[in-house]
Amino acid sequence: MSLNEYFSLVFSDYTLRTITLGTAILGAVCGMLGSFAVLRKQSLLGDAISHAALPGIAIAFLITGAKDSNTLLLGALVSGLIGTFWIKGITSKTHLKSDTALGLILSLFFGFGMLLLTYIQKQPNANQAGLDKYLFGQAATLVESDVWLMAVVTGLCLFVILLFWKEFKILLFDPDYTKTLGFNTRIIDILITSFIVLAIVLGLQTVGVVLMSAMLLAPAAAARQWTNSLSTMVILACIFGALSGVFGTAISASQNNLSTGPVIVLVASVFVLFSFIFSPSRGVLFRQLRFIKNRRDLEQHKTLAFMYHIAKTHDNISHPHTIKILNNFQGFTRGTLQKLVKKNYVELDGNMWSLTDDGFKKASNLYNQQNNE
Amino acid sequence: MNSAQIEIQLIASLVAIACAIPGTFLVLRKMAMISDAISHAILPGLVVGFFITQDLNSPLLILLAALTGLITVILVEQIQKTGLVKEDTAIGLVFPALFSIGVLLISKNANDVHLDIDAVLLGELAFAPFDRLFIGGTDVGPKSLWVIGTILTITIGLLIAFFKELKVSTFDAGLSASLGFSPVVIHYGLMSVASVTTVGAFDAVGAILVVALMIAPAATAYLLTTDLKRMLLLSIFFGLFSAIAGYWMAHALDASIAGSITTILGLLFLMVYLFAPSNGIIAVLYKEKQQRIEVSLLTFLLHLKNHSEKRERHVNHLREHINWQKVRAKTVLELALKNNMIVINNDIVSLTKKGDKFTTQAIDYIITNEDAQIEGMKDDFFLFRG
Repeated sequence: MSLNEYFSLVFSDYTLRTITLGTAILGAVCGMLGSFAVLRKQSLLGDAISHAALPGIAIAFLITGAKDSNTLLLGALVSGLIGTFWIKGITSKTHLKSDTALGLILSLFFGFGMLLLTYIQKQPNANQAGLDKYLFGQAATLVESDVWLMAVVTGLCLFVILLFWKEFKILLFDPDYTKTLGFNTRIIDILITSFIVLAIVLGLQTVGVVLMSAMLLAPAAAARQWTNSLSTMVILACIFGALSGVFGTAISASQNNLSTGPVIVLVASVFVLFSFIFSPSRGVLFRQLRFIKNRRDLEQHKTLAFMYHIAKTHDNISHPHTIKILNNFQGFTRGTLQKLVKKNYVELDGNMWSLTDDGFKKASNLYNQQNNE
Repeated sequence: MNSAQIEIQLIASLVAIACAIPGTFLVLRKMAMISDAISHAILPGLVVGFFITQDLNSPLLILLAALTGLITVILVEQIQKTGLVKEDTAIGLVFPALFSIGVLLISKNANDVHLDIDAVLLGELAFAPFDRLFIGGTDVGPKSLWVIGTILTITIGLLIAFFKELKVSTFDAGLSASLGFSPVVIHYGLMSVASVTTVGAFDAVGAILVVALMIAPAATAYLLTTDLKRMLLLSIFFGLFSAIAGYWMAHALDASIAGSITTILGLLFLMVYLFAPSNGIIAVLYKEKQQRIEVSLLTFLLHLKNHSEKRERHVNHLREHINWQKVRAKTVLELALKNNMIVINNDIVSLTKKGDKFTTQAIDYIITNEDAQIEGMKDDFFLFRG
């Protein structure tokens, strides 16, 4: 199937429509909540939670014996929440740092989950096959009810975020101030963390335990580069997330043997890379260009200042001097001289240069911050 | 026990020791999550190495994969250096991308690669004894035993040779730089050891459980001691213990060995987390409660010292004035009585000589913040132990 074929089929074919819609919604909700995770410096929490959800899935299966995705996700949610609060407990009550706590919970829960999964596989129950799809995710197994669930959760997230927008925002940037204003920071904190856990759990079926953290981070990290406003960032992250979902699904559907989860993550990574390089205000490319321009300006100013110190000693500031005396000066090149001429600061006459009135005025105020525009 | 069982336990123990040593330093340097990133990001290196060598235990493959691990570390640092995102975000962006590339490489070449992602992530220790190394036709033991044995020998050699440098640069990077050991060289040295160990161990215990073996023993040991040498020994011990105990648990449950080892590690950590003598949760909560009572006691004594009027010192008045609940007021009153700080006559509370002296000293300490004032009190009160 080629990409064109995919886009012509996406509205008519049930499977393609469901998967595309599912990954798009997932990308959007992850982008939305991921913005908060990134700004709260909890980027790796997503990684820890997604791994910590595994034993929950296994235990839910052991208890119910059925593979109903909603019960399994409920188990994942509970175990993800336990993991999250244990991480908080470790960092607040002991001297272990947050990275150690994250790594501990991530690996210990995951190992325990693996133990349970292998144990389940040995059980005489025909139903157990396919639990390991939660490890790497299989977007192809999405059905319409899964998408509905995602849509409902996304709507709920959106509603809560809009309702508590001001509280979330202030907690994000100044937790101490929030406390002094009388907000219950602990409840706001629990609320937002729970929603992050919820979003991660939703994505497990699609992109899997291992890659879920990237779904959360990448759209938000990309969006962060384009704006300094929280609302714009959240909206942009939603769009980036949804686009990663759609394009990832499209690319993986158009080729054989390409699993959807990794492709979505790679598409999101491309968004991040593009944003890192081409963002106008923070991007590496424009920053480098600004840097070069600043250096040129500085050299020009140095030349102008040097000319000013020569011209100052004469009664007539426009007294012509030979270009040769500039030769030993570091910042001087023929190019910078031309630029000064273009700006009407200097006049050239054969091998001689002279400062104009404009140039003299500019040079005398060069290091005077107040008059300098 | 048959020879395969002994070999499995031997491999598991060596992996546990080889992971515990770099793990201790990663935990102390607040870089625990780097091990997670490395363990995922080596996947593309493994796949490419496997294309070339067709053998999971070949030294070339291990070097290639370890190189990918180092590249991950460098990439994370470069991204962080641009200042566009924080370090943890940089880690979280780099390793899933590399891991995805690895997964796609495997799935695109599924016919040529006999490499299962599950096997890479989860490992299967039970099969390790079947892949044997032959030198000149004689069977000298499982290949992975030799691989991890070599890595462990190198790690221990490096640890002994550079212990002092590691110690200084871990706790005081500035000092180590001024003493002339470059923290950068030691940093990358440690990262290389961590990468090589991760690659060497993934075959046995799987990439994610390497993380558990690196972080969990070290974190557990860190709750019990603050001495580097003791912490290293303790984490090696915890690693060893869980390797052996985990094997037998897996044997009993007929489940994944790596999963059982991690579960034992988790239980160990949970026990220490709850019951560690000075840093465990129970000890911390007890200490916090004790401190709260002692602060109340001090407030109470200061109040008594400030007021000579009888009205202010009446037992009932205290309750409403300082706004304490009945139980708390009673605990404080009893504590003060037991320590002979106060006497109660006709429901009027007054300070004894000892109480007066104590209060003066406490005020002095609060004002001057000099430790000498309270040396004597440290035995009786948590509050002043800092």
